[in-house]
Amino acid sequence: MKPLLKAILLSVLLVEGGAPIALAQDKTLTINSFGGAYEEAHRKCVITPFEKDTGATVKIVTAYSADAFAQLRAQKTAPQYDVIHFSGGQEIVAAKEGLLSPIDATKLPNAADLYDFAKANITKGEGPAYSIAAIGLLYNSQKSPKVPANWKDVLDPAFGDHLVLTDISNGYGMLAFLMLNQVQGGDLNNIQPGLDAVKRLLANGAVVVSKSPEIQQQFTQNEAWLAPYASDYAYTLRKAGLPAKFVQGAEGTPASYITVNLVAGRPNQDLALKFIDKSISADAQACFAEALRYTPTNSKTKLSDEAAADVAYGANAVKGLLRFDPITVEANRAAWVKAWSQTIAK
Amino acid sequence: MTDRTENMLLVGPGLLLLALAFLLPIFQMLSLSVTGPSGLTLLNFVNFLGDPFYLGVLWRTIRLSLLITVICALIGFPLAYIISKVGSTMRLWLIAILILPLMTSVVVRTFGWMVLLSRSGLIPQVLQGLGLAHRGFALIQTETAIVIGMVQVLLPFMTLSVLGVIARIDPVLEEAARTMGCSFLQTVRTVVLPLSLPGIIAGSLLAFTLSASSFVTPNLLGGARIQVLATSIYNSVTQTLDWPFASAQAVILFAGIILTLIPYVRLMGDGRG
Amino acid sequence: MVKAVPLPLRILARVFVAVTVLGLLAPLIVVVAASVSENQYISFPPQGFSLIWYRKVLSSDDYMSAAALSFGLALAVTVAATLIGGAAAIAIHRRKLPYPQLIGAVFISPLMLPTIIYAIGMLMLWSSMFGVVTVFTLWISHTIIATPYVVRTTLAVLSDSDPFLEEAARTMGANRLQRLMLVVVPQCLPGLAAGAFFAFNLSFDEAVLSLFLRKPDLTTLPVEIYSKLEFSPDPSVAAVSSIMIALTVVLIIVIDRVVGIKKFAST
Repeated sequence: MKPLLKAILLSVLLVEGGAPIALAQDKTLTINSFGGAYEEAHRKCVITPFEKDTGATVKIVTAYSADAFAQLRAQKTAPQYDVIHFSGGQEIVAAKEGLLSPIDATKLPNAADLYDFAKANITKGEGPAYSIAAIGLLYNSQKSPKVPANWKDVLDPAFGDHLVLTDISNGYGMLAFLMLNQVQGGDLNNIQPGLDAVKRLLANGAVVVSKSPEIQQQFTQNEAWLAPYASDYAYTLRKAGLPAKFVQGAEGTPASYITVNLVAGRPNQDLALKFIDKSISADAQACFAEALRYTPTNSKTKLSDEAAADVAYGANAVKGLLRFDPITVEANRAAWVKAWSQTIAK
Repeated sequence: MTDRTENMLLVGPGLLLLALAFLLPIFQMLSLSVTGPSGLTLLNFVNFLGDPFYLGVLWRTIRLSLLITVICALIGFPLAYIISKVGSTMRLWLIAILILPLMTSVVVRTFGWMVLLSRSGLIPQVLQGLGLAHRGFALIQTETAIVIGMVQVLLPFMTLSVLGVIARIDPVLEEAARTMGCSFLQTVRTVVLPLSLPGIIAGSLLAFTLSASSFVTPNLLGGARIQVLATSIYNSVTQTLDWPFASAQAVILFAGIILTLIPYVRLMGDGRG
Repeated sequence: MVKAVPLPLRILARVFVAVTVLGLLAPLIVVVAASVSENQYISFPPQGFSLIWYRKVLSSDDYMSAAALSFGLALAVTVAATLIGGAAAIAIHRRKLPYPQLIGAVFISPLMLPTIIYAIGMLMLWSSMFGVVTVFTLWISHTIIATPYVVRTTLAVLSDSDPFLEEAARTMGANRLQRLMLVVVPQCLPGLAAGAFFAFNLSFDEAVLSLFLRKPDLTTLPVEIYSKLEFSPDPSVAAVSSIMIALTVVLIIVIDRVVGIKKFAST
C-alpha cells in the first residue's frame, strides 16, 4: 500500500506547511479589497498609514463584494475577515443575518464628520460609507455622435447598437436601470416602464454586459459610444488611455455606497474599529478621491480642484445624490433580477 | 488477503475521501434546497419547475451540452485516429497544440474568443466581407459562441480519452480486416470505431457533464442574455443571495445530467462486457 | 498502414487537421498578440510592440507567488488524484465490488455540479469543523474534482485490456503486489498519464474553488488574474497566459526528450 502511505505523508507535510497563522492574532487584521488599482490606492490611503499608526499588520484578500459576502456567509461559524468592504449593498443583508456587529459611534471619532446618510445605520450593523461611486453616463468623447446630458438620452435611437447596458446582477447596473426606470415614469413599486424601455433598446441593438472589464472591451473592440455606469470606472478607462468621459445625468445621480463593516464574532474588534475609523477619516477619503475619483462622505475632506471637478464635492453637491431606498431594493432584488432576465432573454 | 480485501483497499481511500470531503459538504449544501423559514418545503422546486423561463434555461443547458458533446466526438475521434497514425514528431506537436488551450487561464482564453467573435472581430468581419452576414452581425452573446468556446475547451478531453484507447488497438486487427477485403473506411467502421468506443464514451461523459456544469465560458461568451443553469446558479449564489434556490437548481441540474447519462452508462456496461 | 489510405481521404485528413488546429489556436494567437501591445488596455490587433507587460509580470511578486502556489498545488493534486483515482479504477474494473455501477457513479459525481455549489458547501463544512481554510482545503477539494478524470481515462484503457494477463501472472506465482505493480499498472499507464495530465491542468486552471476557499497569502494564479481584471485589466494578464503557453511547449518537448512522448500519451 505504498501509494496510500505516500498520500498520507504528503498530506501531513501540507498540513504542517499550511497551518493557519494563529499567533499574534491581536495585532493582525484580515480585510478584503477589490484588487488592481483599487487595492493600490487602498493600501496607500488607508492600510499603510493605519499600520504605521498602530503597529498592526493588515492582511488583504482580494475579493469583490459578492464573492466576499458569499465567503462571509459560508464562514459564519468561523469568519476570517475582521473588516469587510462592500459596494453592492450587501451590508444590509449581512447585518440582518447577524454577520456584522453594530458599531458604537463613540468608538469612531471621525464619524462625527461624516454626512448623516453615511452613518445612518451603523448601530444596526451596517458599517459607515467611506466613499460613493456616482452613477451617470459614460461616453466615448471621440466617436459619440452627441454628448449626452440627460438620462433620457440613453433612449436616443442615435446610439443604436453602440449603447452598452449593464446587467442588474451588477450593483452599478441595478442603479442605472432603476434610474432609467424612474425617468420613464416608473418607481420602486413598478419597474415595468424601465423593462419596456430596455426591451426597446435591445431591439435597437443595445448590448448587455455583466462585468466592468466587458465595458472596457466594448470601448476597445466594439465601438461603444454610451454606457450608463460609474464615475470611477470612467476614470479607470481614461487612465488606460481611452477617450471615455463621464457626465451626471440632469435628472439625478444615483449613488452607490462603498461601506466598511465590522465583522461579528472576531476577537479583535477594537483594532478593527480603529481601522474603520481610519477609512472614514478626511485624509483617507481625500487620498481615495485623488487616486480614483470616488466621492467622499466626510464633510471635512479637502480636494484639489482637478479631483473636485470629477466628483460630487461639498455638502450641497452630495445632497443632489440620489439613493434608492436600499431596504426596498434588497427586498425586491430577486424578483427584479428574474423579471430583468426574462426581459433581456433572447 | 482475499481479492475482495484487495479491491476494497484500492477503492477505499477514494470512497472515504469522496464521502467526507464531497458528499458531506454537498449534502449539507443541497439540503438547503428543501429548507424553508418554517421547516421542510418544496417551494424552491415548484418555483423552478413551474416557471417557463427556468424550464427554458434547463432545456437550453441540456440541448447545448448534447450538441457540444456530439461535436467534440465528431472532431475528436478522427483527430485521435490521425494522431495515432502520424509520425512521432507530428504526434508530439498535435498533442501539444491540443492541450495548449488547457494551459491558458479560461478567462484569458475566452477573451480571445470574445475578440474574434465580437462585432468588429475577425470572424464576423470576414463573414460580412463575403456578404454572408449583415452589418452589425456578431457571434458573441449567441449560443453559437458558447458552443465554439466549449468545444475548444473540451476537445482535448475527448481526443485524449479516445487516443488512450485507440493507441492500444492491435494494428494486426486492422491489417487483418484490410487483407480480408475491407476498404479503409470499412475497417475504421468495423474495427477501429467499435474498439475505441470505450474512449469515446469516457470522453463524452466528461464533455457532457463539464459543458452542463461549467460557468465561466457560457457566462462570458453567452452573456447575460443567454443563461444556462450554471450561470443562473452562480447568480443566485452571489447576486440575489438566494442559496436555497441555488441549491434547488443544482439538484435539478444534477438530476438532468443523471437522466441524460443513464443510456450512456448502460452502453458503457455493454462496452466493458 | 497509412500508405493504404486512399489519396482523397489523406488530403481530407490534412485539411481537417489544419482547420482543427487553426480553431484551437486562434484565440491563443489573439492572446499572445495582445500581450505585446503598447496600449494600457487589452486590444486586438495590438498597437505597436512592447515587452513591458512581460517585465511587469516577471517582476511582480503577486504573479510570481501565485504561480508558485498554483504549480505546487497542481503537482500535489496530480499525485493524489492519480493514486486515488487509478487505484479506484483498477478495483472498479475488476467488477468484484458490491454495486459497481453506483461506485462508478459516485466517483464521477463531482463533475455533475457547478463548482460554486461545492465551493460554498466545502467552505461551510470546513469553517464549522476546522475554522479558517488552509492550503490543505484547496488540495483536498481540487483532488476531489480531479479524481473523476483519472477514473474515467483509466477505466477506458482497462476496458480493452487482456483480463487473462493477471490470471496468468497468478498461476505463474506472482504475489498480489507484483501482479498489481508489474501487470495491472503497466496496462493502465496510458490512462493514468492522460488522467494525470487532466488533473494537473484542472487544478492549475481552477478558479471557482480557489476563489471561495481563500485567505490572505493563498491566492492561486487564476484567482490573481481574475482579481486584476476588474480594476486594472491591462495586457499583463495576456502576458501571463503567453508565458504559460510557452512553458507548456517547453514542458512537452522536455517530456518528449526525457521519457518519449509515446509513453506520455499513447503506447
